[in-house]
Amino acid sequence: MVDTLKKVIPESVLDALNKRGVETNSINAAVCADMTNDGELKNIYLILTDARLVFALSNSEDDMVFSGASPLRSVSSESIGEFYEYKLDRLTNPKIIDQVVGGLFVVDIDGVETWLCRFSGAKLREMRRFCKALECSITGEKPPDENEDDAVYCPKCGHPYPEKGRTVCPKCMVKRAIFFRILSFFKSYRLRIVFLFLCMMISGVLTSVSPYLTGSVLFDKVLTRDQALPEKLGIPGNFTLMLLLLVLSIAAVQLIQQFVGVIQGRLAAHLVPGVVAKIKGNVFASLQRLSIGFFTRRQTGSLMQRVNSDANEVMGFFIDGLPYLIYNIFTFAFSGIIMFTLDWRLALASFFLLPPLFYVSYRLLPRLWHAHGRRSRTVRTLYALLNDGIGGARVVKAFGQEDHENRRFSKVNDRVRDAEIQVVKYGNRFDIAYSLAREIPSLLVWSLGALLILRSSGTFKLGELITFINFLHMMQGPMHFFSSIFRWWTNSMNAAQRVFEIIDANPEIAEKENALHTDIKGGITLNNISFGYEPNKTILKNISFSVKAGEILGIVGKSGAGKSTLVNLISRLYDVDEGEIMIDGANVKDYSFTTLRGAVAMVSQETYIFIGTIAENIGYACPDASRKEIVRAAQAASAHPFICRLPDGYDTIIGAGGRELSGGERQRISIARAILADPQILVLDEATASVDTETERAIQASLEKLVRGRTTISIAHRLSTLRNADHLIVLDDGKLVESGTHAELVEKRGEYYKLLELQSKALAMRSIED
Amino acid sequence: MTETIVKNEYDVLEQQKQAVEDIISVRLITDENAVFSRTDGGFVSLTFTGEDGKTVEYNRVAVHRCFPHSDPNHYISIREPDGDGREIGLIEDLSSLSDETVNMLEEQLSLRYFTPKIIRLKNIREEYGYSYWDVVTDKGACRFTVRMGSGNVYSIGKNRYLINDLDGNRFEIPDLYEMTPREIKQLDLFI
Repeated sequence: MVDTLKKVIPESVLDALNKRGVETNSINAAVCADMTNDGELKNIYLILTDARLVFALSNSEDDMVFSGASPLRSVSSESIGEFYEYKLDRLTNPKIIDQVVGGLFVVDIDGVETWLCRFSGAKLREMRRFCKALECSITGEKPPDENEDDAVYCPKCGHPYPEKGRTVCPKCMVKRAIFFRILSFFKSYRLRIVFLFLCMMISGVLTSVSPYLTGSVLFDKVLTRDQALPEKLGIPGNFTLMLLLLVLSIAAVQLIQQFVGVIQGRLAAHLVPGVVAKIKGNVFASLQRLSIGFFTRRQTGSLMQRVNSDANEVMGFFIDGLPYLIYNIFTFAFSGIIMFTLDWRLALASFFLLPPLFYVSYRLLPRLWHAHGRRSRTVRTLYALLNDGIGGARVVKAFGQEDHENRRFSKVNDRVRDAEIQVVKYGNRFDIAYSLAREIPSLLVWSLGALLILRSSGTFKLGELITFINFLHMMQGPMHFFSSIFRWWTNSMNAAQRVFEIIDANPEIAEKENALHTDIKGGITLNNISFGYEPNKTILKNISFSVKAGEILGIVGKSGAGKSTLVNLISRLYDVDEGEIMIDGANVKDYSFTTLRGAVAMVSQETYIFIGTIAENIGYACPDASRKEIVRAAQAASAHPFICRLPDGYDTIIGAGGRELSGGERQRISIARAILADPQILVLDEATASVDTETERAIQASLEKLVRGRTTISIAHRLSTLRNADHLIVLDDGKLVESGTHAELVEKRGEYYKLLELQSKALAMRSIED
Repeated sequence: MTETIVKNEYDVLEQQKQAVEDIISVRLITDENAVFSRTDGGFVSLTFTGEDGKTVEYNRVAVHRCFPHSDPNHYISIREPDGDGREIGLIEDLSSLSDETVNMLEEQLSLRYFTPKIIRLKNIREEYGYSYWDVVTDKGACRFTVRMGSGNVYSIGKNRYLINDLDGNRFEIPDLYEMTPREIKQLDLFI
């Protein structure tokens, strides 16, 4: 206890508390809330001892630190100021009342409902736990086992993870540079890359050789009839042959260079698609692995863009940028060496502007980075909007809101344009800096070289000047490339950062290590479960019930009561916040996904049709199903008649871009899918919500066949569809208000009876009116 | 026999009508039909006289804004605190009530909508899909973290912005152009 306590309360505060008579050993629970009653951000320690509830206001003047921000250096001087306490025997009924932001800690003091303390969203979980501890203290219950929180801090640097369940430390990840991570995708192409590297080295060297040949050699050796060179080659005095040799060697250099270029191109062509596909596959696989919560938090349009264009962008740099970067560096280095050996003064004049140039780019780089990030964000918004406008075309047309959509679009479109302009603006600054760095040295070399020829009378030759000019000319290409490589690099690393965010995201719902692989019979028990999609909005509160294997459970309740959420928890699309869900006596968290998802099939109100044939859609959960089984499943789902009427029968392509199916038809296909999956647990979530009465009857009949011998959980608005349920529960506002058999609930004359009466009378009236 | 069935059905239909009316009708709260008072526990209680002349007492009521950003002082919904949180009535214009009542309700609203206003922006750092903010608010200095790129910083009016952090806490920038050029430049990333 003392150890966990020290995580919550610093020692100096514990000391101060001791002085006020709060013995450290008597503390049963403690929490640090983050707000005074006026809403000032300040630490307030709530301490539960055997007999008292103590509030101690911290005197710390430090910044409040919320989740994700790096913690401040530990403050030893923190002590307490204001201090008040309540005897536990005055307190009853503690609870947390959720607010839009954070919540209130409320207790009845001598029977008067009083709020004692406020806190922000950062403390919601801890405050709930503390509240529970207080409740247990008052009622004398045994407090629930404290299950240790998931890792919150990075083990390497102690930085807190910015998000629960995403155990990636942004700080440490920067060190593990993105760049090298991308390189790891190239691993399997090692041999090719070595060759590519070799090719680039050769062409780099060759490129820097030709200016020397066309400059110094031509002008100073051949044209000035320098005797030394022909003698060395064994053709003394024959300068025509010498010239021929020179031209041939220049041609040879060019030829080899072209040849190497072709090889290089072919090598790269084999590399690119492979690696791009690998990255895309990786991202897609990561997306499949992630829990459903990840998708609901993000716009689909932006995710689609990531998978597609970000991978391309990353690769663009690695495929086109990086090889040329290496090639250009080689060219630059060799030219540099040759230039310095020829004449250091002119070499210096050519290169002296480079350091300031790199400094300028270094300074401009962060701005360019931001501009790019901003552009890609606006583009993502645009994609999402596009998705919205086109996906909702029916509604837009129905309400005649085309103009409104246009305005909405053009607003975002303008923002994209502005962001684009900004990128170009910063890009231009680069171009200017680089042009200057190109033109000034060229001017300098001309004048300095001419001066040297005039002054030095023979030691500096015309050929050398021409070589230098050639070099400078040749270096314009690499220089220009260097000016854009920064832009390229920024772009690509930006994209890579987004790609890795997906690859590194941890699924919130993970399979246990030694997960159970067994056959499930289908008995389900819920023990006191609570759940909310967002931390401060509890959807389901303390729900318990159980269903025996093979029984049918009906869930009844108004819309928004939490029925669909409840069934999502059973198939573990989400994990419960509190309590546990047991299947056949074992926690759902202990089962492997294959076991669990293989045993649970769901027919829900949203039916999703994948792109493919009808047969493929029905066989989605069991790809090995034979045609016979598929037809039988379709028959059982009363889908067979309409499928047979289609010209292409079971081979009809449906889904996006395929044949349009009606709501009822889609529903029947998803029922057939569930029938074929042959699950032990069947979840019917308003399975007949979107079909007409006649089809409903047909589906009901097929469902009745389907539910035989399986545990079935059925949600329905129309109570008549639940008439054969063994057991019914009634949900209202996330709470279980009634449960029992149909007869018991009618007897009870409670909520269920009310619903039933309303519906049956309404139906009766309708038939009288008819 | 038939009579009783028809009568029963009639009753149920009446009930149903009543229930529907309850849902779709708007009940306005004014100084005439409602008395708010502070409770010892820091909440607000309400004595409300409905159109049917029946007076109901509520030990505690919840106070919600219908337009928390665009029109915070109009359309204040007074609701039952527990369960469904059924609406008791709607205050069309807060300022039409007595000052004492307005104070009381505003206290409750400030509990519900805790949103510190950012008065100084010390630093924003962006890294790997998260931005780390170091700010001074009217409620004290603090640091928080915001997930990038999923609409966690958004406009709620002309030059007004709302920021949602990882904890679900909210921070407000009341007027972007009241900030220094350097601060605006830092915010450029989000706006």
